[in-house]
Amino acid sequence: MGKTIANTWTVLMILTITTALISMVNTTYTSGLILVLATFKFLIVAFQFMELKRAHFLWKFLILSYIILFTIIIFIVAF
Amino acid sequence: MTNEAVDPKNIYYPPGGILIWIIIFLELITFGVALIAMVYEGKANPVQFHNARLSLNVTYGTINTVFLLTSGFFMALSVKEVKLGGKQKLKKYLPATILFGSFFLLLKCLEYYEKIEAGFGMGHSTFFNYYWMLTLFHVVHVIVGLVILTSVYFGRHKQSTTIEDIEASAAFWHMCDLIWLLLFPVLYLFF
Repeated sequence: MGKTIANTWTVLMILTITTALISMVNTTYTSGLILVLATFKFLIVAFQFMELKRAHFLWKFLILSYIILFTIIIFIVAF
Repeated sequence: MTNEAVDPKNIYYPPGGILIWIIIFLELITFGVALIAMVYEGKANPVQFHNARLSLNVTYGTINTVFLLTSGFFMALSVKEVKLGGKQKLKKYLPATILFGSFFLLLKCLEYYEKIEAGFGMGHSTFFNYYWMLTLFHVVHVIVGLVILTSVYFGRHKQSTTIEDIEASAAFWHMCDLIWLLLFPVLYLFF
């Protein structure tokens, strides 16, 4: 079994559980923190599971730009 | 068939092929714009969106995240095994990928049933219009993904099934993960 893939899954599970726990705490920063964690999970899936880490720079740049832009726009609209 | 047919560093050959990545970006942009529109409307009706969000079952959403990510984990293992040992290795992990994808659908059906029973159908409120539109559109992608994976599984003996086909179907399946990773926090936790 791929050790890197297994480690990636473990990190994703930890982040998912962390997100669920954070959502139970109602503070000013909860929504923002949840979004940031979602961004990390998104990038981990894209780079590790989808193997974008092996792809040409352009594809890495495009997916990074997408998620950063998405998160920034959500922050601007929501806060 | 070669096990490593194309160089992924080539700009025209991202993992799975350029066509699937054009589709992935179009899908991500579509869902992204819809989610931004939802957050914009939520800003105008914060109380309504907050109350509606509280009626969603976060536990179901979290378990479904685990199901999809675990399914993606087995998909990544399948692609790795295929590259090392050929198409026949698909039978090792692809059934688990399909199984966890099916668990996602089953739990989603249960969630939909409970929402409809409680009267939170389409048209109930702006929040639920977005909820149904976004999650149903995502479920359609999951169903299409499962059909593709099943077809790849049973087509593994065929000469015409290549590593690129398997990588492209894997990329489509992981796209369902990506979309869900955006939907889950905004729909279930954000407002």
